Amino acid sequence: MSVPSVQTEKKIGLKQPLIEKTWFGVLIVLMVLGLIGVYFRVQDGLASTNLTSLMPWGAWVAFYIFFVGLSAGSFLLSTLIIVFGMKRFEVVGRAALFTAIISMIVALTFVLLDLGQMDRFAYALMFWNLVSVLSWEIHFYVLYIVLLIAELYFMMRPDLIRLQQNSIGWKKRLYGFLAMGSNDLSPEARQKDYKWMKLLGLIGIPLAIFGVHGGTGTLFAVIKARVYWNSGLFPVIFVMSALVSGTALLTFIYIIQQKVRNLKVNLDVVKALSQLMAFFLIIDLSLEFYEWFVSGYGLEHEDMAVLATLFAGKHAWSFWGLQIFFGAALPLYLVFSKRTKNSINALAIAAISVVIGIIGVRFNIVVPALIVPVLEGLPRGDYFPSWVEWSSSVGVIAMGMMLYTIGAKLLPLEENEDEVLNHE
Amino acid sequence: MKKLLNLKEFDKMIDSQLKDPVSVMKDSAYDTALAVSTGIDAQKVLAGKITQEEFHNKYNTDLKIEFGDKYLSAMAAEQKKSDGPRWGMVIDLAKCVGCDTCTVSCKAENRTPPGVSYNVVLKKEIGAFPDVGKVNMPRPCMQCDKPPCAQVCPVRATYKLDNGIVAIDYDRCIGCRYCIVACPYGARSFDFGESYEDEMIGFNDLTAPEYGFDREDREKGKSPQGNVRKCNFCMHRLERGEEPACVETCIGDARFFGDFNNPNSIVAKLANSPRAFRLKEELGTEPRVVYLR
Repeated sequence: MSVPSVQTEKKIGLKQPLIEKTWFGVLIVLMVLGLIGVYFRVQDGLASTNLTSLMPWGAWVAFYIFFVGLSAGSFLLSTLIIVFGMKRFEVVGRAALFTAIISMIVALTFVLLDLGQMDRFAYALMFWNLVSVLSWEIHFYVLYIVLLIAELYFMMRPDLIRLQQNSIGWKKRLYGFLAMGSNDLSPEARQKDYKWMKLLGLIGIPLAIFGVHGGTGTLFAVIKARVYWNSGLFPVIFVMSALVSGTALLTFIYIIQQKVRNLKVNLDVVKALSQLMAFFLIIDLSLEFYEWFVSGYGLEHEDMAVLATLFAGKHAWSFWGLQIFFGAALPLYLVFSKRTKNSINALAIAAISVVIGIIGVRFNIVVPALIVPVLEGLPRGDYFPSWVEWSSSVGVIAMGMMLYTIGAKLLPLEENEDEVLNHE
Repeated sequence: MKKLLNLKEFDKMIDSQLKDPVSVMKDSAYDTALAVSTGIDAQKVLAGKITQEEFHNKYNTDLKIEFGDKYLSAMAAEQKKSDGPRWGMVIDLAKCVGCDTCTVSCKAENRTPPGVSYNVVLKKEIGAFPDVGKVNMPRPCMQCDKPPCAQVCPVRATYKLDNGIVAIDYDRCIGCRYCIVACPYGARSFDFGESYEDEMIGFNDLTAPEYGFDREDREKGKSPQGNVRKCNFCMHRLERGEEPACVETCIGDARFFGDFNNPNSIVAKLANSPRAFRLKEELGTEPRVVYLR
């Protein structure tokens, strides 16, 4: 029983040592860069950033909301499989949950970096201001991570047991720990797993939509001081963007993983995911269009100022270049054009393009609304992240990718035959 | 860098001047032990180690016996919660000349670091030649009755006091800056930890006793660094019976301060003027700073 798995491991290992070594090498270099940035951030506090009292939120907040979005999107996609039984996407089910977990860890790391008093981060959990959306959010994030881990556990449980039985040494202990001491490989136990998965998935849907990512959008939407944010559509746009970015990331991860392991990439799956992504994207764009149209139509001074900053300001390239071109135009073309819609490479490009574009979307949510002053006479803000912000952000993202890679190597994230759908 | 001021030495100088309580009490007609005991415990009350009520319960009987009719028991326990003041400010824009004295005196009074200004004067030129005018609008914290900043703080570090001032607990604030984003008046600033030390030797040796709390010197990473700060109507001055620094130093006598609960106060009367207006009234924040056009 132990020999075949060792052989398979060896086989895969032999075919991709160079790619893997390069990947880890790159990640480690980026993480070291990140550590340098984090060192200066800890030493000098927030003075190491380009943030000011007028522009209090910047890159770290933008990345934090971006990764919460990725997480919620990936999770909601996994519920399509687990709760709604959409067979087409079963192959990315576990990867979706694991991506969701890693994204949340990255998001909370960004929040930690952003706090003025980092050592007081626990206060956010100890104290609960019932009228503060942010307070609810922090508590929801923790609950959500626990739910994600639990759901992934139930998904992987039998495979973890099998891995434990077939491994030796520290791996055996690791899988034993991850399986939480369970030893039951019977179909009845598996049925119980599915019941749990479905229940957690069901609870998770409103938690993700309203609590986690709708909530993150709400924390901007309730601010009446910033008219651009203060709209009921904002939380909905957040959820839509989350679905778009989560689907895109999952598509990209699936394609890359299969290619790196020299396995076949299922074109039907990729096409289905890409079309789903495009569908979400079109809805997202429509909502954003309405948001801008209603904002600008009233010709209200502050609304117009924010839109002008967004469309024609100093960093308008992040709108036209990232949000519109990479985030919408290019991927929609690639997904729908006859020339590229059946090409896996093109769809991979479309996916990663969307992910990059949505980073632009998040920056464009946070920054332009803060650039425009709340009172006439106050100076206009100006912001571009400092090298500390860039390097620490890159480092944290590299850390996330490292955690994902290690997890993908150790954990049974590939779909197994006795997946949930066969038992519907 | 070695500090030039050693505050502990000043404390020692004071201590060496203090008279011995026992020898002082020997010359008086009253009980020495009670005097020494109440003195020590009174200091404990000021330091917050015991409450006024505990002090009262401990000494009430003894003091009655000792002083008889002369002892007017303040009866801390029975004192009913009187309607305290509800502080507010009125700023007459017709008198403001835009000299920025209020901004500077606020900075001097509160020893705010670079980048933090509790009060600013917004200036705008209006009209076209020859009908040009200048509007100068000082903007402290509005101390709103419905403060959006207090609503959004995840740890409730900022909250409204009974006297109307919106306070910040520097020991609880985690520096997330959500309140800065939420303030419609831009009245809050973040303390990035910067210092005027290279321009003013000794800047880091003292901090203003904001909210009546002396934080001694300004060390790296120590609150209020990494926290959000704002105008608090010079609460430490109010406790001493003084007006906020900006009100006192205004050269145009444009700023007024007082108790809105008292219908005879200048601020209550001026707030009823037909010239009175408040900023961003439509947002429903109920600011306590009233402007006169």
